[in-house]
Amino acid sequence: MDQSNTLQASRCTILFNKLKTYFSKPHNVILLLMGIVLTFSTVAPIVAIVEDTFKIHPGTIDAHLTGQASGYTTVNYIDLFTSKLAKANLWTPLLNTVWLAVGTCIVAILFGGVFAFLVTRTNLAWRKYLSSIFIFPYIMPQWTLAVVWQNMFNSNTVTGGSNGLLAAMFGIEMPLWWCKGLFPSLVVLGLHYAPFAYILIGGIFRNMDANLEEAATILDTPRWKTMLKITLPMVKPAILSTILLVFGSSMGSYPVPHYLGLTTLSTKYVSMNSKFTGEASILAIIMMVFGVAIMLLNQISLTSRKSYTTVSGKAGQSSKFNLGKVGKYVIALILVIVTFFTSIFPIVSFAFETFLPNPGDYSFLYTGDPSNLTTKWWITDENVSENGMYGQKGILHNETIWRAFRGTMLVSVSCALLAGTIGTLIGYAVAKNRRSKWANYVNSMAFLPYLMPSIAVGVAFFILFSNQYVNLFNTYALLIIAGTVKYIPFASRSSLNSMLQLSGEIEEAAIIQDVPWIKRMTRIIIPIQKSSIISGYLLPFMTCLRELSLFLLLCTQGFILSTTLDYFDEMGLYAFSSGINLILIVTILVCNTLVNKVTGASLDKGIGG
Amino acid sequence: MPEIRLEHITKRWNKFYAVDDLDLVIEDNAFVTLLGPSGCGKTTTLRMIAGLETPTSGRITIGDKVVFDSALGINVPANKRKVGFLFQNYALWPNMTVYQNIAFGLSNIKEPRKLSKQEIDETVHRVAQVVKITAFMDRYPAELSGGQQQRVAIARTLAPEPSVLFMDEPLSNLDAKLRLEMRYELQRLHVETGSTFVYVTHDQMEAMTLATQICLINNGVLQQYDAPLTVYNKPNNLFAADFVGNPSINFIEGEGKQRPDGGVELTLLGDKRAVFKPVQPLDLPAWFKGRDAREALAADAHKKKAAEKGFVEKGNKDETFRYHIDKVEEDDVSPQEEPALTNEDLVLGVRPEFIDIVEDGALEGEIYGAMPTGMESTIKVRIGNFLLTGVVFGSTLFTIGSKVHIDVSGDSVLLFDRRSGRCIAQGSLEF
Repeated sequence: MDQSNTLQASRCTILFNKLKTYFSKPHNVILLLMGIVLTFSTVAPIVAIVEDTFKIHPGTIDAHLTGQASGYTTVNYIDLFTSKLAKANLWTPLLNTVWLAVGTCIVAILFGGVFAFLVTRTNLAWRKYLSSIFIFPYIMPQWTLAVVWQNMFNSNTVTGGSNGLLAAMFGIEMPLWWCKGLFPSLVVLGLHYAPFAYILIGGIFRNMDANLEEAATILDTPRWKTMLKITLPMVKPAILSTILLVFGSSMGSYPVPHYLGLTTLSTKYVSMNSKFTGEASILAIIMMVFGVAIMLLNQISLTSRKSYTTVSGKAGQSSKFNLGKVGKYVIALILVIVTFFTSIFPIVSFAFETFLPNPGDYSFLYTGDPSNLTTKWWITDENVSENGMYGQKGILHNETIWRAFRGTMLVSVSCALLAGTIGTLIGYAVAKNRRSKWANYVNSMAFLPYLMPSIAVGVAFFILFSNQYVNLFNTYALLIIAGTVKYIPFASRSSLNSMLQLSGEIEEAAIIQDVPWIKRMTRIIIPIQKSSIISGYLLPFMTCLRELSLFLLLCTQGFILSTTLDYFDEMGLYAFSSGINLILIVTILVCNTLVNKVTGASLDKGIGG
Repeated sequence: MPEIRLEHITKRWNKFYAVDDLDLVIEDNAFVTLLGPSGCGKTTTLRMIAGLETPTSGRITIGDKVVFDSALGINVPANKRKVGFLFQNYALWPNMTVYQNIAFGLSNIKEPRKLSKQEIDETVHRVAQVVKITAFMDRYPAELSGGQQQRVAIARTLAPEPSVLFMDEPLSNLDAKLRLEMRYELQRLHVETGSTFVYVTHDQMEAMTLATQICLINNGVLQQYDAPLTVYNKPNNLFAADFVGNPSINFIEGEGKQRPDGGVELTLLGDKRAVFKPVQPLDLPAWFKGRDAREALAADAHKKKAAEKGFVEKGNKDETFRYHIDKVEEDDVSPQEEPALTNEDLVLGVRPEFIDIVEDGALEGEIYGAMPTGMESTIKVRIGNFLLTGVVFGSTLFTIGSKVHIDVSGDSVLLFDRRSGRCIAQGSLEF
């Protein structure tokens, strides 16, 4: 081909050649496809929910106020912000939500951070056991601890209803602020998210070059000053990313405030949804605004974070604080006791609850008489109305529960496969195209759902897929779509992190030899980054298994286990809800152990990264 | 068999030009080294030819196939360019054994037909024998030493028998002894396989010893493309003269004019006077005229280019090479205003082997330093405030501080123009 040919080439050929070049790279194709899909799956729900705030819903407050049955109006905004109910419907829940989110962050960071320091930088005893047990609260459904809290501290005189363990056994009646409302909610959520802080902060502690501290020691800096001026600033980025991850998640949490009687935006949304539909959607938007704000913060902190990354390069031997011969056992013992209550006691407690003849009947504990226990909640296999069973069969024979269990498994497995695969591909494609703006856009789009409160995402999908045109309400398809969109960030994050560690030449060496893309992925890249890719599948699976906030509005109560649990709880059949909790926890633990044993991947490697 | 042709290849990241308007023809069966200081754009050039990097503009042809053309939008992906690539850090797949690493690429060959298992096995063993790794076939890369890994990487690259083989500083991670050994092996491989080798290195010794052609690059701009000995003996400019050769060439600043008989009268090394006698007839004023015309032409071309749409000024500006004059008391190194240079400002380049210590040498000096290696000695001779480096063969011992006489022999002394840095002529120097 000579110069004259070049001149003759038409625009069309050039364009064709350029497109051919672009699409000959699989990561470009992935980015383009994912960009389009994610734009729709992330933006469309937001648009739908914004539209919903202006729409008039027949039979709700806006129809009543405007006197119209259809059309658009701003009356929802006016009513929500200015009516007499504004304080009850908006400002109090909003304030509670912010307090809850802030409090949760503080508890999570303090607890997780101190724990991380103790485990990684001191000669604490039993570190290995503590480290693995500490992750448990995150693996378990978030409301487990809320329920445990209730079972522990409730008392007939203070909170009404049945006596909790403490009241029944020792007659201790905790004050109301301790049992209900903001304080228990933020403690429970804080404990639930503390593993985030532990993994993120502990990661930095572990990789931190001891030379940095030794340099200060050589200069005769006091220990506390080294800690304050050198060690803590080093973990600042980890603290920041913990805040970013925890703030949004705790804001959107429904079950914890619901159980513990705190009115937040998410509980308010659920209660307002039927009569004040449009106004409820405004609440969801407020939650989303927080999510987007957090993501912007995230991007700012990401750019400033670069200056810290040089720190965690090659790890030297990190020096360990000596807690003393006695100290290391005393502190370890305290932690063992605390983690017993957060991690092991819930399981024991749920198991125990299912053998109580009546909720709160702890007579077995002080009489020691086995006849005060019952197995009826498990093995009753006929319809009986007496014995407080309300016509339900025992858990082992209960069709509703096992159908819901199968449903949960179906949804979780599908979500994990979809979200894991899509997230891995996105991580791969973004890592390959680091400099491109489009890649950054796709990455943010994939990450955005994580920062939007679950309940708000659920609302959005409810509005989008449950109207006169499409009705996917109460179908597995809807749950799987919502779950996939919400959990892609787990997979894309862990995949992106691992892909960035992988030298580009590893793949180029295969490209040069004309190895097809599929083979490059399956034979080289995936095997090398096996463990983090597996956690990209594992995290969505486990989170989905116990998800309530997201699915609450998308299906009826017996559809999946978490909503079934909610249903039994409202029915007052605590043995059933405890039994379901137990099933969920055992399922998650079994799956986690199985995957861990089979593949060697573990949770600590995946979260947040 | 393919010939690789690069036309006006430019690669830039925003204002940084990694490769600037490079024209290069790599002939079939050549062993070309891309040589230059680190960060000069040689690896980028190699990766662009292989298709791992996309040039900003230009055209690349391999054989009779255009594999890249910015104007036409053609960009044949790396896997369709049918080349071999040896990476600097080997890029062995850690999840595969040595055998699998080598066999993996072979199992993907579909043209002209798929290879049978037995054929793959035979090929793997054949290349393994060539690089002597048959003993480690079942090991994983992590279980091999650096040198072994490197040989596995070579075997993996050779197995599909590419007619073009690219190597990116393949020996830089090896110890000195192994590096020398591998150099011989690469030389042998080049002869045995008959492939075209393109080799990136910053080690001028490696380039000198291995290549049939050296492509010397600095700041993204091609400085010289010639056979190694040509680059050594007739460098295009000060940079080329300085970069190639170890110990480095001596630069001596001189001032003077051409005499009617052709010799150039120079004042140098403080107050010494010498005459440079060119080998070929030289018309110095005409040479300067030609230089000015060329510069004007280049400035014109640059202006035209700058007027084009989408032009970006080169952030990493090209400058005349700042050569180093070795002195006892170093000059102030802080940036100074450029002295106005006239056509009488010249630089002489004298290779160390042309500095002879002789009884009746014209220049009187003093031994300032001596590094005997057994076979030869590298010496530094002090003349006034100036230092000259020379190489003396044999096991002569020099006492530091002793007086010697030196002479500059041979007719390979180089005369450079100080303003443009270009080489004017080759000749002999008489004091």
